[in-house]
Amino acid sequence: MKKKKLTALLTAVAMMTGILSGCGSKGAESAPAEKTPAADEASSEQESAGGENGGTAAAGDAQPITIWYYWENEGHQATLDQLIQEYNGSQDQYAVTAKYVPFADFKKQLSIGASADELPDIAILDSPDHASYVDMGIFEDLTGKFDVDNYYEGTVNSCTVDGKLYGVPFGANCLALYYNEDMLTAAGGSVPTTWDELKETAKALTTDAVTGLAFCSVQNEEGTFNFAPWLWSTGATSYDINNENGVRALTFVQELINEGVMSKECINWTQGDVMNQFIAGNVAMMVNGPWQIPTMQSEAPDLNWKVTLIPKDAQYASALGGENYAVVTGGNVDGALDFLTFATSEEKVKFMMNQFGYISADKTIAESQFAQDSPYYPFVEELNYAMARGPLAEWPSVSDAISLAFNQVITGTATPEEAAAQAQATIDGIVK
Amino acid sequence: MAKIKKFFRYENVGILFVLPAFLYMLVFVGYPIIHNLILSFQDVNAGNLVRGTKNFILFDNYLELFQDSVFTASLWNTLRFTVLCLVFQFIVGFALALFFSKRFSFAKPVRGILLVPWMIPITVTALMFKLLFATDIGIINFLLRSLHLIEKNIEWLTTPGTAMFALICANVWIGIPFNMILISTGLTTIPKELYESASIDGAGKVQTFWRITLPLLKPTIESVLILGFIYTFKVYDLVYVMTSGGPVNSTHMLSTYSYKLSFEMFKYSKGSAVANVLLVILLFVGVFYIRATTEGEND
Repeated sequence: MKKKKLTALLTAVAMMTGILSGCGSKGAESAPAEKTPAADEASSEQESAGGENGGTAAAGDAQPITIWYYWENEGHQATLDQLIQEYNGSQDQYAVTAKYVPFADFKKQLSIGASADELPDIAILDSPDHASYVDMGIFEDLTGKFDVDNYYEGTVNSCTVDGKLYGVPFGANCLALYYNEDMLTAAGGSVPTTWDELKETAKALTTDAVTGLAFCSVQNEEGTFNFAPWLWSTGATSYDINNENGVRALTFVQELINEGVMSKECINWTQGDVMNQFIAGNVAMMVNGPWQIPTMQSEAPDLNWKVTLIPKDAQYASALGGENYAVVTGGNVDGALDFLTFATSEEKVKFMMNQFGYISADKTIAESQFAQDSPYYPFVEELNYAMARGPLAEWPSVSDAISLAFNQVITGTATPEEAAAQAQATIDGIVK
Repeated sequence: MAKIKKFFRYENVGILFVLPAFLYMLVFVGYPIIHNLILSFQDVNAGNLVRGTKNFILFDNYLELFQDSVFTASLWNTLRFTVLCLVFQFIVGFALALFFSKRFSFAKPVRGILLVPWMIPITVTALMFKLLFATDIGIINFLLRSLHLIEKNIEWLTTPGTAMFALICANVWIGIPFNMILISTGLTTIPKELYESASIDGAGKVQTFWRITLPLLKPTIESVLILGFIYTFKVYDLVYVMTSGGPVNSTHMLSTYSYKLSFEMFKYSKGSAVANVLLVILLFVGVFYIRATTEGEND
């Protein structure tokens, strides 16, 4: 009997120690990550500490630098990896590693990381979110550390808050109109330049099996990105919708749906879905970004398509997209800056942009980047009309109000006037 | 020595056994819940998540939520979704369980195959149903048109009412095997002798079902319904993949709306308040479940 009790007790103790040691090893694992930031106040002693901790990440005395990014495209990942390998090979003070975080989780991971103090040293993030994280106080002020005079204004604006630079544009992209040239010739249409022409052409291209036009209208940031060109083309701004211009943009979208030249399903199509419908021949024209070009060329090499400016109402407009580099406060700032200086040199930018199918945020590089007959060339031209969303810490809420408005109109749950008024009320509550 | 011996008496050893589980619960269940509760009483957004003061605004988040039409809609959606799913899952699951309790060839393998929906990852199921219900390329519209039941394609996922219907269909499909297998297990616990003596006494099929099967299955049915309620009420991945709460916020559930507030709009406190409403409702159901199951034990 006694023996039984003893065994029971021993088992209990064993279980306890199991749990405690589990906690212990976990703590030991996370310790280096916390220690490393301290190591950046470079002194020989701390450097060796950094080397100890970095032992798992890289060989030698190099301090670990981590990057978070969200590109799921394998080509993009390989290119970034190549850049990092080159950098790691070029010096032995820092060892850079990159971690993929899915786009849908990226904001969540950064938020959680911020509150748990487990952030990378560098983040490559979607430009409209930049201001929110600056507001959160997790990004380093980079004013004067990088020369961005030659960059497109919109890209620099997206990482500037209160006149201070909190990031470096990685690359730029914007939306433009793709059209299926064979279908256009068969229908006897011409390349549209105004909204009226666009609607007419779309009508001519619509058949039983093909819809004339498609653009991603999902009720989130992606949808807002695609609706912005129409909204801004009328002269309306993102913060001022309940007027003649805002209502005209919403009405135009409503007409596209009601006249059957655009499918209602666009509210469930991501930009990737839209591209798939386009190369499958279900859609004759689409609004999309240059990052689709490599996929389109490999998936549908025989498809005959061209790119042109998004047709205009009052003026040409497009939404500026792309990623920014940001240096995280409390991380290894010196190391991060060193890597960014390497990565933003002209030679490396050219290499990255060409591999990515991106346009350089640096105007001089961008203008000589593509030949006139390259499918990317129209995007460089479109970039002159592209504007950034925000930058505003509350941009996600503004974006939500805008995406709700065009979703209401597309699904017919509200008239353009009602939707505009409701969106304006929400936006006024955010931007006082 | 005697004291130590006294300490290791039987009851105390029992405490030591419970201790690991208790500590585990405290750290991994208790802490997040309490942290979330505190968060919901504060005003935390992108601006003060990391630095700055987090002001306590007590119930303001909750008061604002109940004036937020999307929140009230998602509360109502979640309840409606749960009840409708439970009703259909349960009826179909029960019928299938009764059917497969009969001994006929292939009963077992077919019942095994019917478990497949339960085993497929929900994201896969959601994508599958998204394609089934697609307007132009979906097979459901194709079938309905071929049977001349409809003239124009139904816009299942892009119209508020039908989007909810599509979600319920998908979830019922997932939930049927769960109901079926638990009720099947319940059926095997009913002694055969009862049915034999009932038939000797001249009871019909319907009578045996209402008088023997149903009353003896009561504890199983209670468990199935309550577990089903909890499982369905916190639906997230299915809705997120199929509609993301759309069109026009019409299929937001408490879980998806909480996620949207927290991680898409950076309103962390409001998001956690929504999560707490979800938690409170599930706690009620949980208490009910514990009472129902312990009553069964005492009988």
